[in-house]
Amino acid sequence: MKKINRISLVLLAAGLLLACLVMALPLYSFQANVYTKKSSNTFVGDEKYQEVRAEVEAAAQEYRDQGMEVEISETVTERVNSKGETTSLVAFSIGQTFRKSIWSFAGASLPASNVLRLMLICMVLAVLFAILGLSGGTMETAPLHLPKKNRIFRTLSGVFLLADMVLVPVFVLMNNVTFWRKIDLYNNELITDGKEEFFAKLDSFLFGGGMGENIDSAVKNLSCHHSPLVWVLLLCFFIALTAVIRMRSGEAKHPVLRGLLYVFVIVVCVVTIYPYYVMFVTAFRTNAETLDMYFLHMAPTKWVWSNLKDIVSRGVPRFLLNSLIVAGGATLLALLCGIPAAFAMARMNFKGKKFFLGFVIMSQMFSPVVLLIGISQLMNTIHLNDTLFGLVCVNAAFNQAFAIWLLRGTFVAISPEMEQAAKIDGCSTMRSLISILLPMAAPGIVTTLIFVFINAWNEYTISTVLISTANNRPITVGITQFSSFNMIEWQYLFAASLLATIPVVILFMMIEKHLTSGLTSGGVKG
Amino acid sequence: MESSKHKWMPYVWLLPSILLIGIFVVFPILIVFRLSFSEISKAGVVGGFVGFQNYIDAVNLPAFKTVMKNTFWWVLSVVGLSTLLGFIIALVLNQKFRGRKIARSILIFPWATSLVIQASVWNYIIKYEYGNLNNVLLNLGIIRSPINWRVSYQVEFIWECGVGIFVTIPFVAFCVLSGLQSIDESLYESATVDGAGFWSKLWYITIPLVRPSLSVSTVLNIIYVFNSFPIIFTMTKGAPANKTDTMVTYLYMLSFYDRKKGPANALSVIGFLILCLCAGVYMMTVMRKEDEG
Repeated sequence: MKKINRISLVLLAAGLLLACLVMALPLYSFQANVYTKKSSNTFVGDEKYQEVRAEVEAAAQEYRDQGMEVEISETVTERVNSKGETTSLVAFSIGQTFRKSIWSFAGASLPASNVLRLMLICMVLAVLFAILGLSGGTMETAPLHLPKKNRIFRTLSGVFLLADMVLVPVFVLMNNVTFWRKIDLYNNELITDGKEEFFAKLDSFLFGGGMGENIDSAVKNLSCHHSPLVWVLLLCFFIALTAVIRMRSGEAKHPVLRGLLYVFVIVVCVVTIYPYYVMFVTAFRTNAETLDMYFLHMAPTKWVWSNLKDIVSRGVPRFLLNSLIVAGGATLLALLCGIPAAFAMARMNFKGKKFFLGFVIMSQMFSPVVLLIGISQLMNTIHLNDTLFGLVCVNAAFNQAFAIWLLRGTFVAISPEMEQAAKIDGCSTMRSLISILLPMAAPGIVTTLIFVFINAWNEYTISTVLISTANNRPITVGITQFSSFNMIEWQYLFAASLLATIPVVILFMMIEKHLTSGLTSGGVKG
Repeated sequence: MESSKHKWMPYVWLLPSILLIGIFVVFPILIVFRLSFSEISKAGVVGGFVGFQNYIDAVNLPAFKTVMKNTFWWVLSVVGLSTLLGFIIALVLNQKFRGRKIARSILIFPWATSLVIQASVWNYIIKYEYGNLNNVLLNLGIIRSPINWRVSYQVEFIWECGVGIFVTIPFVAFCVLSGLQSIDESLYESATVDGAGFWSKLWYITIPLVRPSLSVSTVLNIIYVFNSFPIIFTMTKGAPANKTDTMVTYLYMLSFYDRKKGPANALSVIGFLILCLCAGVYMMTVMRKEDEG
């Protein structure tokens, strides 16, 4: 057996065993009131006090005999009544402290229990795939020479361990929601729905169902703490993950760094997706829920699909159509003007070529914002104010630079031999451009097209200034009608935003690969 | 190759493009220049030549200093931090690993989204009373009571910079990635043979070779960020009293809300000249590369 495989197996087993051990530790501690006794007209130290105190001590002893960890606490409230006499109220309570391990959640029907079960399933699957990856005598093989099937199994094992790592914070989150925020909200009567059912679940988990009617007062001052040791679970899964990476790729890939890389990428992706998640779930909430500071649910309590219907009746399709016209028109115009220019730049020699290049780059520098006043003045003069055609022209003009840049890069990369041959055969320059160069340059043209389209689609500033008629608004300006100064209809704002975002994100993902090469070969490098 | 009677042909090919840029980019520049030296009434009626009066008015506006300072910090922090973070993310995404394609596709989201939409979402996220961030942090148990993320305009401005950084990172990351992908693997291999560690490879191979992409993306970013309007306009509208305005949002307010067209035009020209400076630096970088390549 290869040494590296042996070490990896031991590490994997150690990591997961350690995780199971951590789960068995009493990491969650709860404190709840199991007994309260109030005694009025009682002063600390007097006869009545001693009497009640003894009674409470006896009760506490009873709990201790049952093996509970209890503590007596007393609070004294002194008041001067209307007659000027001092009265005093002593309240005794017996607080029970008890600890639960993570394992104990498995049997309960709390939200965290489902997460725990999922975590366990992932662990089992990770082990299963690691074992499947070992089949066929690959323990003797160095990781880099593994058969493909075994590599895939080991990869899957790693994926499930990563999933386990993600589930650890989710587990903590669920418990915080259950034992702190939700109980708090019920106690303060900020929410009332489903209280009995929820408290019954708590009773069966915390007290084994023994509290019955008293559960309300028992959780009144319930506090829940988790030990920081919970986070050791992350480390356990990480150890197991590095073991799997070692089994898959060997020492050559620095398993620890590799593991950290995955963690980093996951964190970056989660942060990037976060605003989109917010946009998505808010788009389907009720208006009340968007403004509710007590919401506990990561997803809408009820998916309100009618939000989409509402925004349709408030002009959003019209805005989308306007955006489509503006972006489509701008793309068309930018390409119609850009392709000949890029062709001339790529294939012809002429005086002032460098000057034109400079001219184009300079025009790229000025976003329309600084020139807002000039543009609106110009549009007034040539009567294109408040028209979609005006927007088309401005967008096309400000995207000219990038279009020419990308297209020129594409054309230069294509050898001119075919066109020259066509020319000898009597083809005009125009014909050879259309029937030979353009088909060959199609990928570059599509990239340019999508890029200009997205830029024009997302444009906001010029449109706010130029468009005053509601019917002519593109979507970026149109969505602002949902956010006036005194009231913002977040659900409509985000539902419309969602419709405006999804198509362009998909388009952008399509050209992602070309974009990277486009930026070097065409856009940036020149 | 071209015969002499077709000497003018290239210019015909360029003509549509020149016309388009000429009318809709160059012409507005001229208009702004002319207006900045003219007297303009509140109703927008253009009067005679007033010399530098508009510029003097612009500099003497009460908010001028704050706005310039904000613009400086806005550009510096957004460009600086997004370049740093984008560079790190690009280095990581350039590694070969499973799911790299998915990670890249996700990273591109903020680039593809309209700034006004991004800004609206973050505006909602950081609300004190019902914002999503407070809820997530509360649920995670990281905080025990909601935090007011917008206690003061300074903090709000920092948030705006944060959103600016968030949306700018993908552009930097993809520029650096395109630079990284053109580096020859064998350079690293021979460096490894020579016993170079991670840091020395980063310092002596990676950074020098991606510097061109990095410098171009930085200059372009300075221009984009300087011109960035929707984030600030959506999140604070420059409130209170222009304290969170940058030059372009202030310009907009001045011209279309306060109807002070004269000083607004003067500010436009000032902004335009600052951009020219950046453009000059950019041109020099690009042209030098053109000569090399």
